[in-house]
Amino acid sequence: MRSSASRSIGGSDPAARPDPGPALPGFEHFERHWDREHGWSVKILPGEYYITRAEELISTVLGSCISACVRDPQHGVGGMNHFMLPEDAAGGSDEWLDPAVGLATRYGSYAMESLINDLLKLGAVRERLEIKLFGGGRILAGMSDVGERNIRFIRDYMRIEGYPVAAEDLGGTRPRKVLYFPTSGRARLRRLRPVENRIISRHEQLYLESLGRHTPGGEVELFT
Amino acid sequence: MARILAVDDSAAMRQMVGITLSSAGHHVQQAADGVEALRIAERERFDLVITDVNMPKMDGITLMRELRARSNYHHTPLLMLTTEATFECKQQGKAAGATGWLVKPFNPDRLLATVAKVLS
Repeated sequence: MRSSASRSIGGSDPAARPDPGPALPGFEHFERHWDREHGWSVKILPGEYYITRAEELISTVLGSCISACVRDPQHGVGGMNHFMLPEDAAGGSDEWLDPAVGLATRYGSYAMESLINDLLKLGAVRERLEIKLFGGGRILAGMSDVGERNIRFIRDYMRIEGYPVAAEDLGGTRPRKVLYFPTSGRARLRRLRPVENRIISRHEQLYLESLGRHTPGGEVELFT
Repeated sequence: MARILAVDDSAAMRQMVGITLSSAGHHVQQAADGVEALRIAERERFDLVITDVNMPKMDGITLMRELRARSNYHHTPLLMLTTEATFECKQQGKAAGATGWLVKPFNPDRLLATVAKVLS
């Protein structure tokens, strides 16, 4: 608990900060920040996901990207991802039922499965998962609507997997900052000023370009 | 064309893998976990089993061990298709009797090429 004394000196007294415990295995490289308003918080970037059991906040800034906030309320574990679907240079299809199922759909499923699998490994139960969805904005006029494509993907994915949507805030023209509290499941949204659109869009573009260069996975190893 | 059993707890994955394999002319049967897969594998014969690792009820590594313990599946190619990419996990798969290991996000062309290779 934070004492009033610690607040009066700017919350800089380390003794007043509750110990969040060690980060879960695989997530030690994320930096935790102490925020006087919200306590411990971790910020994730495009392409990342973070999972925790601790009393801490996960935040991210979304333009056309999507974040899924997923938790098992009974088991007390939750996390957030942040992903965008890569353009398919090979011209693969976004349609799930198309034999030439494209890079975008495969990559999006991978982003969702990575987060959900790690939660299940920590004891979360699939049927209890509470999933909230954010993002998919069209923040720059004149660009192709990447956000809309991302939204279409996540809606299809949720339907095919049979997951109910606990809450969503998708689309629109303004970027969002999402603050997610996995222990309570609460998600808070802040709409950002349009002046920040160009910077956010630039970050997302860089992320997309890096995806094009090295999409993870796909390796094959034969043992015999 | 081969009879293939595809096992994954994700319906989205089952759908994508199923469509990729059937578009190449294979006959695909699906199962959502190791227990269901084992029940189907005991009832029918398959030329190849492709399975995810992390699944409820029975994981993919246990499924491989169970299949290898059955005479029908001593020599059947068994492939892992998973988000797991660590050396330790692959070694476990190899020890359980896996023929090969494919890391997600899956690549349809590479999947078909691998399937063709292990079936030949």
